[in-house]
Amino acid sequence: MGAAAEVALQRPRRRPLVWRRVRNGAVPYLLVFPVVAVLAGVLAYPLYYLVRISLERFQLFELVRGAGVYIGLDNFRSVLHDSTFWHTLLRTVVFTAANVTLTIVGGTLIALLLVRLWAAVRILLTVGLILVWAMPPVVAVQVWIWMTNVQNGVLNYILTELHIGDYFGHNWFDSSFSQLAMVTTLVVWGALPFVVITVYAALSQVPHELVEAAQIDGARAWRVFKDVTLPVITPILYILTCLSILWDFGVFTQAYLLIQQPAIVPGNYLMGIYLFEEAYFKNDYGRGAAISILMLAIVAVLSIFYVRRMVRVGEVE
Amino acid sequence: MSPRLARKLGWNALGVALFAVMVFPVFWMISTAFKPNDQINSVNPTWFPAHPTLKHFTNAINKPYFWTDVKNTVIVVLVAVGVAMVLAFLAAVALEKYRFSGRKSFLVLLIGVQMIPGIGLIIPLYILLAHVPVLHYNLVNKLSGLIIIYVAAVLPFSVWTLRGFLMGIPKELEEAAMVDGSTRLGAFVRILLPLVAPGLVATSVFAFITSWNEYIFARLLLNDGSTQTVTVWLSYYTGSSRATDFGGLMAASTLIAIPVVLFFLLVQRRIAFGLTAGAVRG
Amino acid sequence: MRYRVLAVVAAAIALSVVAATAAASGKQATAHTLTVWLQVDAQNGWPQVVNAANNAFENSHSGWNVNVQYQNWGDHLQKFDATIAANNTPDVIEMGNTEMTKYMAAGAFANLSASKGQFDNSGHWLAGLKKSSMFNGKLYGVPYYAGSRLVTYRTDLFKKAGVKKAPGSLKKFEADLASVKSKNHSKGFSPFYMAGTDWYSALSFVYDYGGSIAKLSHGKWHGTLASKKSIAGLKAYRTFFRSTAPKSASKLNEANPAPYTVFSQNRTSAIFGPGWFSCCTGKKYTKVTGQFVMPSHKAGQSMPGFLGGSDLAVPGQSNSQAEARAWIAAFTNTANEKALQAVGNIPNATNLLNGTVNDRAAKASWFVPTAKHWVDVENGNILRTMLGQILTGQLSVKKAAQTASANIAYTLNQS
Repeated sequence: MGAAAEVALQRPRRRPLVWRRVRNGAVPYLLVFPVVAVLAGVLAYPLYYLVRISLERFQLFELVRGAGVYIGLDNFRSVLHDSTFWHTLLRTVVFTAANVTLTIVGGTLIALLLVRLWAAVRILLTVGLILVWAMPPVVAVQVWIWMTNVQNGVLNYILTELHIGDYFGHNWFDSSFSQLAMVTTLVVWGALPFVVITVYAALSQVPHELVEAAQIDGARAWRVFKDVTLPVITPILYILTCLSILWDFGVFTQAYLLIQQPAIVPGNYLMGIYLFEEAYFKNDYGRGAAISILMLAIVAVLSIFYVRRMVRVGEVE
Repeated sequence: MSPRLARKLGWNALGVALFAVMVFPVFWMISTAFKPNDQINSVNPTWFPAHPTLKHFTNAINKPYFWTDVKNTVIVVLVAVGVAMVLAFLAAVALEKYRFSGRKSFLVLLIGVQMIPGIGLIIPLYILLAHVPVLHYNLVNKLSGLIIIYVAAVLPFSVWTLRGFLMGIPKELEEAAMVDGSTRLGAFVRILLPLVAPGLVATSVFAFITSWNEYIFARLLLNDGSTQTVTVWLSYYTGSSRATDFGGLMAASTLIAIPVVLFFLLVQRRIAFGLTAGAVRG
Repeated sequence: MRYRVLAVVAAAIALSVVAATAAASGKQATAHTLTVWLQVDAQNGWPQVVNAANNAFENSHSGWNVNVQYQNWGDHLQKFDATIAANNTPDVIEMGNTEMTKYMAAGAFANLSASKGQFDNSGHWLAGLKKSSMFNGKLYGVPYYAGSRLVTYRTDLFKKAGVKKAPGSLKKFEADLASVKSKNHSKGFSPFYMAGTDWYSALSFVYDYGGSIAKLSHGKWHGTLASKKSIAGLKAYRTFFRSTAPKSASKLNEANPAPYTVFSQNRTSAIFGPGWFSCCTGKKYTKVTGQFVMPSHKAGQSMPGFLGGSDLAVPGQSNSQAEARAWIAAFTNTANEKALQAVGNIPNATNLLNGTVNDRAAKASWFVPTAKHWVDVENGNILRTMLGQILTGQLSVKKAAQTASANIAYTLNQS
């Protein structure tokens, strides 16, 4: 890379000394207080409630009566001894990894593409993405069901017409794997717009001069991306990845509605479905609370790498 | 054709192809909204209805409480987004500009609350809103209850993202703000606000759409047809035990997607999607 | 500076509170409000019945106002659970008849035994609905309406095949369907369509042969799907399905594709399902759609059909139980039940049945075991899995039935 770009990059990303001299006082706390107040106000009681009933036998009878029976860690023991829990956990981890990878990589690539387009095409693609984002999940699921219909779905029709293979009468929901693969296409499709638009907005902060300097020096696209673009959008990518992990791990609506209740069996449970079935279909709220807490712990472990990076980015060490 | 033009054409062709693939389900929804009932489930897929009908749209608009629920949703979403953006921006500024103890804990708390599975919160949140402590106020069936939940739901992501955007502002501009003689928060905000506008827009679009399409808590908390939001209104299409009116469902969904697109078109200028072409490099 | 921050924050909050409370609309709170939860089927199908009941109630209870809040089948129970937890339940709630037992066992509903005489035709309530409203000998719900299962068929195709009248036995029906098939050679056409795992329809065969799903004896549930009679019924189902329905439907459920959709696409000449299927058979075939009751394997008799339906209950937490009962009485009176019947439902009492094909279907019916955990059997898809295994040949009828039976017993006997 050229000298100019290198010099520009080597400037340390530290806060100028002048910031440190600013006296903090109470200002930061005042600024942060409303957010803390709202979150604490909304979530403190529910969290307490979840923890409390996870330690109780709290089923429909107790719900009506208004009080649970303390049973210590029995709910947790019962869940951890349930083979369905472990199988579902493994399945969900794999599902999450696949979805997050496809979403983040695909979204970033599309955002990079957006940059290179003529204004008209850019607007077209962006409005398209917004339309995708705006579609309610219930409706998107129904369209998916139509498109993948065994008899007259357009998916089979198009694939056969394009001579990709003979997909006449192909059932896209034959096995648990194919069912979850279909859920993946739906979830990723719905998640891409959010990633694309956020990353694109982040790309607007990449300094033009650096990019142009690097390009003039003959740097290939990948190097420009790696050395100039990536450092700027890394904080945003960490956030998006972390949130995608959280959301995809707990996904419920799309999976439940697309696979459809009559076909839901422990063999295709995801953690969100498992929680819903235990808490609401079997009316075992205590057990459901225990599962919620376990899910929280697990997803915290899954995302710890990103959370640490996110907290550390931009810090002065 | 110069290689440069050829490459440009290639990218744009890819962009159009991507548009076609991504938008296809939306196209199917809109196309179905115009199809007469017997074409919706026809044996051979119908791409463009030969005799499009507006009947589904008129039926949807005439369903009870359509306009009322749209109005309710607009109120809920605009207030929630507005409040959330202000609060999140202030918190993000605090995180970026100041080093105060408890900062890291605050950041982790924000992510932590996103890790709680929403389904598990249904019952306790309902109890909380039905009997708001101290105030002894019943917020069930009131829009304000839902607004509070939506603000809480979008705050974590908004704070994190805005912080990320603030961190992405080149130091030279930050220093310029300082050299200006202003060590005061107000000036800082005034100068940096336009620079962080793309982040604000992206975040507000996220907050808008998340709130607009939210169903579970809207369904849980709003009971009367006159106080419901548009997602609950939509759910009545699929809530009966009888046959679903698919044409109506598609028409209704198309209608309620329109405000989202309008909102986006209103705010998108700040992210340089088209009007200031060439402002973005990657 | 810090005050400016405070000002911004305060302004934002104040603005939102003003906007929200100004926008919070809703019925004007009169002296008393009776909150009623009905499913959206009522809003779509018989709003005039709801209005009639509301007017009658409000006229006889001055100062009272009825607030009907419409619910969806998919999530009304989750909402109900939340209101129970928060002590904020409605005064009247519509429950599906298979949903009742669990809540009755948990004590969620008020005991209506003493007020039974208040409700019209209570002495003649349909057996299936009445059973679903009772627990331990006490009455906890009022039957609202029912629906049974019928065969919906193409009159023109049957006529073309020379079928003159509705078949009187299952064997005759099979033969008739074969005749239809011989006269119709379009690709993908099957004379009969049914989702293989549609247990509401499939288990009619089991009950037709005298079998059952489970029986309660000495306080314990025993799965009876592997009994001789049940197995005979399951075998009869398999035979019938394999000779008349498409093989590809063996593992499908009745939600996707909906049988009436298959009907409207001219891919079948007969389907088996709720009576309201006739609504959606396609504009082209509305005039040639007919219905008859599914015949039994015993000539001259009807196969018992699954009796679906709804009951109305009064949550125990309600503070207006007397008024709730009065409203229910107004809603389910003879005039309103007749109005429900006019739009295609089965009314809640035998003395109101008037010989339509729908009502005739109600005469021979079966219902699920009234067990606290029955809903868990449904949600666990135990029956669907069994039917799929039987129809695809994955397991023998005996093996599949034994497995399902054991699972059902285990589920029903949970504490």
